[in-house]
Amino acid sequence: MSNLDNINLLSTSKGLGSLHPINQTKDHLLKLLADIGFEEVYGPEIETEEFNFDMLNIKKSHPARQMHDTFYTEGKNNVLRTHTSPVQIRSMLESKPPIAFTSAGKVYRKDDDATHLPMFHQVEGIYVDENVTFANLKHLIHQILHELFGNNVEIRFRPSYFPFTEPSAEVDILSDSGKWLEILGCGVVNPIVLENCNIDSNKYSGLAFGLGVERIAMLKYGVNDIREFYKSNLDFLAQFK
Amino acid sequence: MKINYQDLINFLSEKPSKEDLSQKLFQLGHEHEISGDIFDMELTPNRGDCLSLIGLARDLAVFFGKSNSIDLFNGDIEPLEINFENFSPKDCPKISFLEIEIEDSKVEYKPYLENYFNTIGGNKANLFTDISNYISYELGQPTHCFDAESIKAKLTFENRECNSTFKTLLNSEVTLKDRNCVFSIDNEIISLAGVMGGASTACSNETKKVLVECAYFNPESIIGKSIKYNLVSDAAHKFERGVDIASHEMVLRRFIKVIQDHAKIKSIKLKSFTEGHKQSPAIPIDVDKINKILGTSLDSNEYFSHLKGLGFEISNTIKAPSYRHDIKTNNDLAEEIARVIGYNNIKSVPIKLNKITNDSNDGHVAKLESLLVDNGFTEVINFPFTSKKKKESINIDNPLDSNRSSFRTSLKDSLIDNLLYNERRQKESIKLFEISDIYTKDIEIKQQKKLGLIVSGRLANNHNDFSKKLDDQYLNNLLVTDLREDVFEITEIHRNSLDTKKKDKIYYVEISLEDIPKSYFLNLRANKKAMNFVAYKPVSEYPSSTRDFSFSIDDLSKVNDVIAMLDEVSDELIKDSFIFDFYKNDKTKIVKLGFRCIFQSNLNTLSDIEVNGKVQEILDPILKIEGVCIPGM
Repeated sequence: MSNLDNINLLSTSKGLGSLHPINQTKDHLLKLLADIGFEEVYGPEIETEEFNFDMLNIKKSHPARQMHDTFYTEGKNNVLRTHTSPVQIRSMLESKPPIAFTSAGKVYRKDDDATHLPMFHQVEGIYVDENVTFANLKHLIHQILHELFGNNVEIRFRPSYFPFTEPSAEVDILSDSGKWLEILGCGVVNPIVLENCNIDSNKYSGLAFGLGVERIAMLKYGVNDIREFYKSNLDFLAQFK
Repeated sequence: MKINYQDLINFLSEKPSKEDLSQKLFQLGHEHEISGDIFDMELTPNRGDCLSLIGLARDLAVFFGKSNSIDLFNGDIEPLEINFENFSPKDCPKISFLEIEIEDSKVEYKPYLENYFNTIGGNKANLFTDISNYISYELGQPTHCFDAESIKAKLTFENRECNSTFKTLLNSEVTLKDRNCVFSIDNEIISLAGVMGGASTACSNETKKVLVECAYFNPESIIGKSIKYNLVSDAAHKFERGVDIASHEMVLRRFIKVIQDHAKIKSIKLKSFTEGHKQSPAIPIDVDKINKILGTSLDSNEYFSHLKGLGFEISNTIKAPSYRHDIKTNNDLAEEIARVIGYNNIKSVPIKLNKITNDSNDGHVAKLESLLVDNGFTEVINFPFTSKKKKESINIDNPLDSNRSSFRTSLKDSLIDNLLYNERRQKESIKLFEISDIYTKDIEIKQQKKLGLIVSGRLANNHNDFSKKLDDQYLNNLLVTDLREDVFEITEIHRNSLDTKKKDKIYYVEISLEDIPKSYFLNLRANKKAMNFVAYKPVSEYPSSTRDFSFSIDDLSKVNDVIAMLDEVSDELIKDSFIFDFYKNDKTKIVKLGFRCIFQSNLNTLSDIEVNGKVQEILDPILKIEGVCIPGM
């Protein structure tokens, strides 16, 4: 090898740019889910209340629908989607079971402090078929978390509440420091949601789950402050090559 | 909500340890943190029924049994004659008024009441209000105490349009607007129902005759009021989540009993107004359905036993207790069963799906990303909010602040901000891009996926490109392959309108992905890199210090060694290093090699002494190589 080749190699290796760590994490999750069998579907960030709330069994009186939690646009005509679930609603309306969809992207909540941002990213999945059970949900969540955190990770399911799933669960993993960390929310799709999407809930049932991309990225990369992701600081971003 | 472990176990027949209690609370879905004897509960919004000692004990009874330890007044109560009218029974289908007169309100608190205020209750107010707060902690039903002597005319409850100022019992002034559920006397508001009472009718330490209001308010009628008026209210928190409409008799008899424990009662009078309330539906018994939801194989006996343990009535159908507003369907019952069994004890069963073989990423996006990353661009993600309002902007009705009141219509301003931010952080070669959906409005909302990229400064930090500048020719070479040149419009952004003293030119490209012909992508490839979660290192906020070295190497056989050593230069304080110049004089056979090293600490601004020490460590081994020197050093 000539000297100049060496210099070129040196230069080239250091000259690469990088994708944003949140997009890298999001793409990693989508790839993981595609390998299991989930197909990505797409939808808008500016949504109607119908798709963002009503179709998902989030009643008018639910706190999430208050002006202090959700961004409304253009005289309350629309909302900035508060989750990527409406994408799944749109896709379910256009499909017949069995279906296995993921939706991913930016979501918005009216929040801005040290641990909450007005915009963050979610990856959500839904699977609807005959005889889908909570036991299936458990297996799937274990599969996802083993892929992400290794086969030895200790996993805990806790009952929780989401209007669009019943039963609902939050899932924790045990950290190295012995503390349980909340990782994702999931549940059996509420039959009301299936019926809203013209799916016969006597015949079909479903499971759904949602992950916060920033949360996963913070854990996997060891980033402590969520705001670091959005300073566009090259000293920070260049580390994720 | 804080709960004292010692209080809670009084309601259970078994007396579990804190650890056992904690484990079962988690199993039931009641998150909490423990500090000493205090359990700080974080309950899900559907479980308003658990916002009390008795509520949590009802849930825990399925594991530990329940103890009938609530001491109630069981004497006769006279009927109360009260001039009251409920104009909005839809918002308040049941309300009871209890009037109690005592001989002396200056009393010493019994240990259980004293202990409540010492551990959980906070500041005391007066006997009646203190007992009201204690009862709410015990039984979950908020009550409000009016000084009975201050209610001198007809009392009304209504949901009405308001535009008046109201002074709360905590003496804060609140201007009520729009519709609110209120109690009034002679049209003057004396209480914001379900949230907070007013100062004009509040009890004091002198009060001897109290009118206790015990109501069921529909959650929808109360939701959002405490936040709207910035009133911290435990009562509102409970009413918003739904209280037990069937509990009034028990709650008020308990209230009397606690008063009786503290003072001599002269008279007790009670009146209830019930306007009917829709009961929770009876759910057909279908254990197969429950097994189908959960993937379990329960028999009927187990099913019934679990439900009975949670207070459900089982006859021909299943009926939820009056406090369980959240139970309506078999899926709700399935969750109850799963909580009792324990989510973690339900077996896992795999689903059968086929791997998706086509690329889950949008192929065009992945190809553009690869092109840019391979050429040294860094991707950024920006918030879409801006203060710049355009005709086509989508505006936020309730922005966080006026600087974030509209959706951006272009990526340009965000990327300029990103560039200037990094210039201020001493970055000399900046290449950034963002791919994001942009939303604008015309007749309908228009969604476009756009690519924006911005460059300025040195072409790159390497010996070939260090002295060259990023410019339109660079972007043209990078982006325009076999295409018409006008697809990517490269524009210069002039610095005169920007807050910067830098002189390097700034070039910008923005394009909607749908405007790039498909043929363009035929020549591009998406790199599929395996994910590598590298451990992140905190970014320093201290200034960096740069040192350049010009090596002269007169033995060509040593060039490789020098390059290898420079490549291995590494230290906690070295943020970046690269060869910025390489020149071989063919006549003299001497190689000149320029090397830049950038130092930065995460702990402090580095002194010259610290930097020079590190420089010495780098240079010493290299300068020991025969034929290598730094002229002038």
